Amino acid sequence: MSGYHWLLTLHVTGAFLLLGGSTIAGLLSVLALRSDRPSEIALLLRLVRFALPLVAVGSVLTLVLGLWLVHHVGYSYGTFWVWAAVVLWVAGNGLGKVGGEKQKSARLLAERLAGEGDAPSPELQSLLRDRKANAMSWAAGVAFYGVLALMIWKPGQ
Amino acid sequence: MIAAVRPTSWDLPLFLHVAGAMTLVGVVATTLVLAFAGVRHPGERVLARSAFLSLLAALPAWVVMRIGAEWTYSNEHFTGHHDPTWLGIGFAAADAGLIILLIGVGIAYAWSRQLRPWAPKALGGIGTLYLALLTFAWLAMTGKWG
Repeated sequence: MSGYHWLLTLHVTGAFLLLGGSTIAGLLSVLALRSDRPSEIALLLRLVRFALPLVAVGSVLTLVLGLWLVHHVGYSYGTFWVWAAVVLWVAGNGLGKVGGEKQKSARLLAERLAGEGDAPSPELQSLLRDRKANAMSWAAGVAFYGVLALMIWKPGQ
Repeated sequence: MIAAVRPTSWDLPLFLHVAGAMTLVGVVATTLVLAFAGVRHPGERVLARSAFLSLLAALPAWVVMRIGAEWTYSNEHFTGHHDPTWLGIGFAAADAGLIILLIGVGIAYAWSRQLRPWAPKALGGIGTLYLALLTFAWLAMTGKWG
């Protein structure tokens, strides 16, 4: 394989980790919405921790190797699709972090309620269905798919 | 470099193919996490139900990935004769993967109906196999092996 293909393979692997990890976190959150019992919700939200290293490694690989590829191929860093992808990458990570903090609050509450009788709780349900937090998490996912679209269409190139 | 010279008419099918594949990997990985959690917590029905629902979500992702693949293939005017190795690996992984995926859906369904201890272990095994196959395919296709 050429140097270009090595860089591209690692960059795309990073994208698989980032989008794959985001999918795990998002899907487990959606599945937690289907449960009433705090112990079940806590169990599902605890599994989100397996997605976090994937998202972290994927984020670093996509950005570092992406910028390296721009240099290697000879694209300009000022081209629209390059800086727009960096902006969306930052936005996606920021929104995902805020959404994740809310999810952590829900998990902690679910764990506490599970130890106190495991009865369904309107407070927990309202935390899980927090429209602002959920919108941020979904927006993070849209931002990452937006980066993928920019990588393929390369507008401004 | 290939991206720089690729005709723009290939962009949408390629986007569908890659986005579908990345979503598929995420969904299969979610099922795997649920299956391994099910091995540790064999009495939790929520894990079995969630694994089944999660794996059902893999089917539309597979369809989007496969349609994108076929559309890109037809745009590139390959003939099926002397196609590059990476292309064969991609198609083999996609088509054999569907069989593995459907077996996984069957196991997940059986697990969601009755909490048998073999089910999460079998689902974990088949999920690992499928994820390894998908990883091999994305490495081969991105690196343009052969």
